[in-house]
Amino acid sequence: MTGRWGDIATYAALALVALFFLGPLAWLVSLALRTPAEVYQGAAAFIPAHPTGANFVQILSDAAFGQYLWNGVKLSVGGASVATLCAAPAAWAFARLDFAGRAGLLWAILAVQMISPLVILIPLYRYFDALGLLDSHAAVIAVYGAIGIPLTVWLLSAAFARIPRELEEAARLDGHSRLETLVLITLPLAAPALAAAFVLNVVMNWGQFLVPFVLLGSEKSWPISVAIYRFAGSTSASTTQLLAAACLIALLPAIAVFLALQKLLTRALTGGALKG
Amino acid sequence: MSRAADPSRAGPWLWLGPALLVLGAIYLWPLLDAVRLAFTDATLLRAPTRVSLDAFAAVLSDPALPGILRVTGIFTAASVILLQALGLGIALLVHRGDRRGLPGMAALRALVLAAWVVPGIANGVIWQIVFSEAPFGGLNAVLAVVGLGPVAWLSDPALAMLSAIIANIWQGTAFSMILYYAALKGLDPALQEAAKVDGASALDRFALVTLPQLKGTILAGSVLVTIQTLGTFDSILALTGGGPGQATEVLSLYTYNTVFRGFDLSRGAVLALLLAALSLAAAALYALILRERR
Repeated sequence: MTGRWGDIATYAALALVALFFLGPLAWLVSLALRTPAEVYQGAAAFIPAHPTGANFVQILSDAAFGQYLWNGVKLSVGGASVATLCAAPAAWAFARLDFAGRAGLLWAILAVQMISPLVILIPLYRYFDALGLLDSHAAVIAVYGAIGIPLTVWLLSAAFARIPRELEEAARLDGHSRLETLVLITLPLAAPALAAAFVLNVVMNWGQFLVPFVLLGSEKSWPISVAIYRFAGSTSASTTQLLAAACLIALLPAIAVFLALQKLLTRALTGGALKG
Repeated sequence: MSRAADPSRAGPWLWLGPALLVLGAIYLWPLLDAVRLAFTDATLLRAPTRVSLDAFAAVLSDPALPGILRVTGIFTAASVILLQALGLGIALLVHRGDRRGLPGMAALRALVLAAWVVPGIANGVIWQIVFSEAPFGGLNAVLAVVGLGPVAWLSDPALAMLSAIIANIWQGTAFSMILYYAALKGLDPALQEAAKVDGASALDRFALVTLPQLKGTILAGSVLVTIQTLGTFDSILALTGGGPGQATEVLSLYTYNTVFRGFDLSRGAVLALLLAALSLAAAALYALILRERR
């Protein structure tokens, strides 16, 4: 299967793939642009006769929805900061220092990632309850941070290891201390990986549902993911167009950030995952 | 250069400290506590009063457990196999497109990746709208155009499982795709050329040259995807809520329901440990595979 027929077959297969991946999103967009009456018209109104932005306006002008979005941003960025700040020094140590039990410890940290957050949430719920921290954003940020640390250590230690030691040794020969070398040479070279790890954490945290669902009781502290689930449970057929619009608003930031930084992120991911 | 300012002198523990402290407090300690709770009679509303094996006995004799494990097994196995096959297929197609200089390959990769970053809960809500049997259900609306349906995607037990698997594949394929795409990029094209010169057909080249080189990636990817799938919770919760009946209630959802709806902390802890044990078994397999490859 070579040449032009092969190309045609490739495109035909990829068209099916595109249909599968684009279909649900296209349907969501279609519903979000409809008037309540058009929602009942099924596929005939796939391209609505009178597309309307009213659903988006209604969702975005809802003060509670703005609060959910802001909570989502706050928790995602806070958790990503905790994860990156804790993981970066650890990753550097794994990449550059020789110490007993290094390999074992790195594996242990990776193994942590295999444990579902559900397992730890059961005791954590009790602790936070006893400490009066249920409904506290700080508690959720700490848990997000912990969930993000293993993958971040993994990605960053691979990134630090890729930096040529010669560059650091040259700086040392020039009379710089280790700390100066780290700040002047290593960190700038690792900056793209640090940024990628941070952004990846933000995107993953944006999608977190279970942790805030369990730990945040009151409506005003929910992030967007929890709010969407509650909203979906309370909608009827007559408000589906609003649910579709809310859903799109919830997922667009994550998709936009991800696509904008796609190269950076996939390089960081595959560079870490496919070493060797 | 002062010794105090020399980070390597401080030993590794200063560097590892923050990460280990956070992981210890938020992962390790609660994990040990979950083990402890499993051996008690605690509920969500009452602290443990005595040590017992009752919770283990209750879980093992739970008439619902075999069904839950069967559902978990089917959901996980079908998801992993289909998602890996689709991911490999897309990677091969895009890789071929790249080599032939066909336009649009980057856009297709981006589209698949976009589904990956959709929050799990939104994934469930989106597919619930698509599978809905109401007039706004996307799939039934399309089927109606060609005179078929409506199909009970979410209210028929067998179809609900299929629907949950499809929704999971939609989101999870991207991970496999990137893994295989990167692996294909790393293969030595000289081997392909050599096989071509020897007159091997495209199918032979795939089966005899490409596939054996990808074996390690396929094994490692399968294990990682298995672990991810075992932990799947939010998309199923939003899509079917585990229903109809318990037709799509996987172990993670059942654990959640036991603790936070049934308030049975000790039984939930046992189930959570079962979940962790399954994941760790898969992880151990992964470590073994990596060692084998080296």
